[in-house]
Amino acid sequence: MAAPLLAEVPALPLETAGSYVAAAYVVLFALVLVYVAIMAIRMSRVERELGELLELVERSEQRPPEHSPDAGARESTPA
Amino acid sequence: MPPPSRQPAGALEAKRRRLRDRWGLRTLLIATVLGMTASLVLVFFYAPLEAEQGFLQKIFYVHVPLAIVSLCGFVLGGLLAIQHLRTRDPRWDMRSYVAIHMSLIFALGTLITGSIWAKGSWGHWWVWSEPTLVSFLIVFLLYATYQPLRFSIEDPERQARYASVFAITAGAFVPLNFIAVRLSTAYLHPRVLGSTSNLPAPMALTFLVSLVATALLYATLCNYELTAKRTRAKVRALRRRLDADSGETKQRRPRSAAPGMATAISAPTGSRGN
Repeated sequence: MAAPLLAEVPALPLETAGSYVAAAYVVLFALVLVYVAIMAIRMSRVERELGELLELVERSEQRPPEHSPDAGARESTPA
Repeated sequence: MPPPSRQPAGALEAKRRRLRDRWGLRTLLIATVLGMTASLVLVFFYAPLEAEQGFLQKIFYVHVPLAIVSLCGFVLGGLLAIQHLRTRDPRWDMRSYVAIHMSLIFALGTLITGSIWAKGSWGHWWVWSEPTLVSFLIVFLLYATYQPLRFSIEDPERQARYASVFAITAGAFVPLNFIAVRLSTAYLHPRVLGSTSNLPAPMALTFLVSLVATALLYATLCNYELTAKRTRAKVRALRRRLDADSGETKQRRPRSAAPGMATAISAPTGSRGN
């Protein structure tokens, strides 16, 4: 499918103006790529922070409640 | 007959917002990929070679849309800042900030691609006597001070207010600058707006598709950044709540040029959500 299309395409004059055109398009894609990479780094930081929060929640769930009415009764009752 | 499910209005609204965010970004992303692909195919396989500049003129399809979208983005940032000053809703400040931030990136792309085109066409990377180039550089430098301005103000509320005033003033300067350059006598730089009717139909079509694709790219990246900022704000809000529950000391918000995200996610009563 691509072969007839490519046959129609004129040879790119890469030795002259083509290098400037290629540079201009590369600049656009490089900018987008750098931006997406920065955002990906930030998102990984958010993911790490979410992991820490999950850990915090799990730790607090494992801890017995300190201020519940049962807690005091349990403490005063001998085992 | 089963009773209708009763969900609180807040939960329904949050669910609707999540769906809108997810589908909005996804739809924009698909449209951008399709638009950019169509634009590249048209530029390299459909648009004819220009008689004077030949293949070099293909830079026109990336440089000019970038310039138009970045200038429109600066104006959009001003309009969003007006909305922020009117409603005092920090989310408008966040949108204004993202619009200007993205426009600055696009403007940097415009300057670099313009320099490459100038080198290929005129033999110089930069021509100081060309009003279009210099005026665009002035606009770029003006907006380059936006982030340092924000960073210099610690109080988030005051930072947002001052940044909005800056965005409105600078946003008004952009069209004035554009008109001033148009009225200037030197017409070395090729005119695009208002003269698209002079372009042959295949070139005009390619240009319009490239413009739409660049605008879609801008909208997608803005939406992406807003979503990322909202997510970070929610994570920080959650951390504060958990820290408060566990009795740990409250962490102070680090000084930042970005809008106060903790305030940006809590909407005032009666304001529309996004």
